[in-house]
Amino acid sequence: MRKRTVISLIFLLVLMSATSLQAKDVQLNYRLKWLFNSSVAGDIYADVNGYFKAAGLSVTVKEGSPEKNAINELELRHADFGVASADQVIRALDKGAKIVVLAQLFQVNPMQWIYRADQPEIKTLQDLKGRNIGITFGGNDETVMNTILAKAGISKKEVTITGVRFDFTPFFMRKVDVWPVYRNSQGVILKDKLAKEGEAVYFFNPADFGVNFVANSVITSEVMLKNKPAVVETFLGALLKGWEAAMDPANEADVLNAVKRLDTSTHDAIMQQQLAATRDLIKPSPSIPIGTIDMAAWQQTEQIMLKEKQIKKPVHIETRLSRLVQK
Amino acid sequence: MLFRRIYQFLIVYIIGIGFLLAIKAVLSLSDYVIPGIPLVIETAGQVFTGYFFDVMNTLSVTVLGQGISIIMAFTVGIAGRKSSWIGSFIKVTAYNIQAYPIVALAPIIFILLGDGFIPRLMIASMICYFPLLLSVLGIMATPVTDIEHFYIVTGRMRWQLEVKIRAFENLSKLTTVIAGSATLAMAGTIVAEFIAANAGIGYSIRIALYQSDLAKILIALFMIGIIISIYQGILETLGEVIKVKWSISKKGEVL
Repeated sequence: MRKRTVISLIFLLVLMSATSLQAKDVQLNYRLKWLFNSSVAGDIYADVNGYFKAAGLSVTVKEGSPEKNAINELELRHADFGVASADQVIRALDKGAKIVVLAQLFQVNPMQWIYRADQPEIKTLQDLKGRNIGITFGGNDETVMNTILAKAGISKKEVTITGVRFDFTPFFMRKVDVWPVYRNSQGVILKDKLAKEGEAVYFFNPADFGVNFVANSVITSEVMLKNKPAVVETFLGALLKGWEAAMDPANEADVLNAVKRLDTSTHDAIMQQQLAATRDLIKPSPSIPIGTIDMAAWQQTEQIMLKEKQIKKPVHIETRLSRLVQK
Repeated sequence: MLFRRIYQFLIVYIIGIGFLLAIKAVLSLSDYVIPGIPLVIETAGQVFTGYFFDVMNTLSVTVLGQGISIIMAFTVGIAGRKSSWIGSFIKVTAYNIQAYPIVALAPIIFILLGDGFIPRLMIASMICYFPLLLSVLGIMATPVTDIEHFYIVTGRMRWQLEVKIRAFENLSKLTTVIAGSATLAMAGTIVAEFIAANAGIGYSIRIALYQSDLAKILIALFMIGIIISIYQGILETLGEVIKVKWSISKKGEVL
C-alpha cells in the first residue's frame, strides 16, 4: 500500500514537471489564408518539423478558407498571427484596422491567367486585344486586369470580359480564352488536364508587364507587436526558417510528406508540381530571403487600389510594413 | 397586414444592428470587422439604387420560381394523395430528390446549364417546392369525411371534386403555406446567385464578401428583408381576398 502511494506520488511529480515545462511554451494561434496544400507548405513544415517548438512556441496552425479572414480574427483575438493578401490588408487599414505586415510570403503573385499555346503568345499588353478574358467580379483579378487594360490603353470594347467562378467549363469549351488561376494550385491542375488532351498552355503574369500586385503576407496586430515584440520576432524567425527549409529542393520529399498528411485529396504528382510552382513564387532567386517585403510593390498595390476606388484615401502602407525583413 | 410586416421586420433589423454595434463597442473593433453607422449610411448612399434593382431582379426570379414550385407541388400532391402503389411511388420519388442538398446539386446544374436565368429559376423552385409539397400532400391525403361521404354514397364523387373539397376546407392553411414559401423561394434564388450567377442580390453579396465589405452586406440584407416583407404581405392580402371571394361564390361563410 505504502509502495503504491510512493509510486503514485512520483508519477504525479513527473506529470506536474512535464506540465510546467509545457506551460513555458508560448501559446499562439496562426490563421492561414487558404486550405492546407502545397501553397502553404512552409507554414505546415515549420509546425510539423518542430521549428516553432524549438523556439519555445506552441503554435496552432489553422487552415484558412474563403470565409475565414485572418484580420477579423486578429481583431477578435481569436488569432495572434495570420496570413492575408495585400488587398485585404490595405482595405482593412482604410477602415481603421490596427494591423502590421511582418513578412511578404509571395515575391511573385500567384494570381495569373492561363491560356492555350495554340493562341498567339501575349508578348505585349496590346496582344490582349480581341481576346475573351475571364475575371472574377469583385476579386483581385478584376482590379489587376482593370489596371493592365488602363496601362495598355485598351478600352473595354476592345476585349470581351466574362465573369467567371470555380467552374472551368467555359475555358475547356474555349468560350473564354484567358482564364484567371492561382498559378501554383489551379494553374498546375489545368495545365496537367490540358496536357493529357495534348494541349500546351502559357501563363500571363501581370508582373512581367510591370503590374506588381502583392499577394499573401504574414500579419499581426499593432498591440501584439507593441506588447510582445520578442514573441513576434521569435515567431517570425521560426516561421521563416521553416519556409526556407520547405523551399529547399533537398527537403522536397520531407515537405511533400508533411503536406500529404493534411492534404489527402491531391495526387502525389500534382502536389509535387504545385510545390515546385510555389517555390518559384516564394523564392524566385536564391539571393532573396523568404519574407522580404517589396516596398515598391506594396506602394504600387496601394496606388492601384486607390485608382480603382477600392479604398477612399491613402493608407501610407510603408508605415505599416515591419522592418524585420525588408528589401 | 402589409404595414405590420414591414415594421416587424424593421424591429428585427434594428435589434440585429444594435447587437453588432454593441459587440463592436465592447471589443473596440474597426470598421473593417463591423462597420459603424456613418459607414453604413455612406455605403447605402453608394449602393442603394444598384442593390434595389438587384433585389428586384432576384424577386422576379423568386416569383416565377415560386409559381413553378406551387404548380409542381400541387401536381405531385394531387397525384400522390392516394394510398395506391403509384401514389406512394410518386411520394418516395419526390422525397428522395429532395434528400440531396441543393448546394451539392447546384454546381452540377450550373455546369450543365451555365450561369444564366434558368439555373437560378430551377434552384429557387427546388428549394421552395418541398415544404409546399409536404403541406399539399398532407392536405390532399386527408379526407374531409363529413362532406365527401355524401358524394361517395350518391356516386357523384370525382377526383376533381375531391381535390376542390379538400382545398376549400383547408384554404386558410394553404394560403399561409404559400405566403411562407415566398421566403424559401427568395432564399433559393439568393443561394443560386451566390453560388454561380452573374446577376441578382446574391451575386452582389458574393462580391461584397470578396471585398470583406460588411456594410454592403448589411444594406443588401435590409433591402432583401423589406422587399420580401412587402411581397409576403401582398401574398397574404391576396389569400384573404381569394378566401372571401370563394366563400361568397360558394354562398358560404367567410372562413
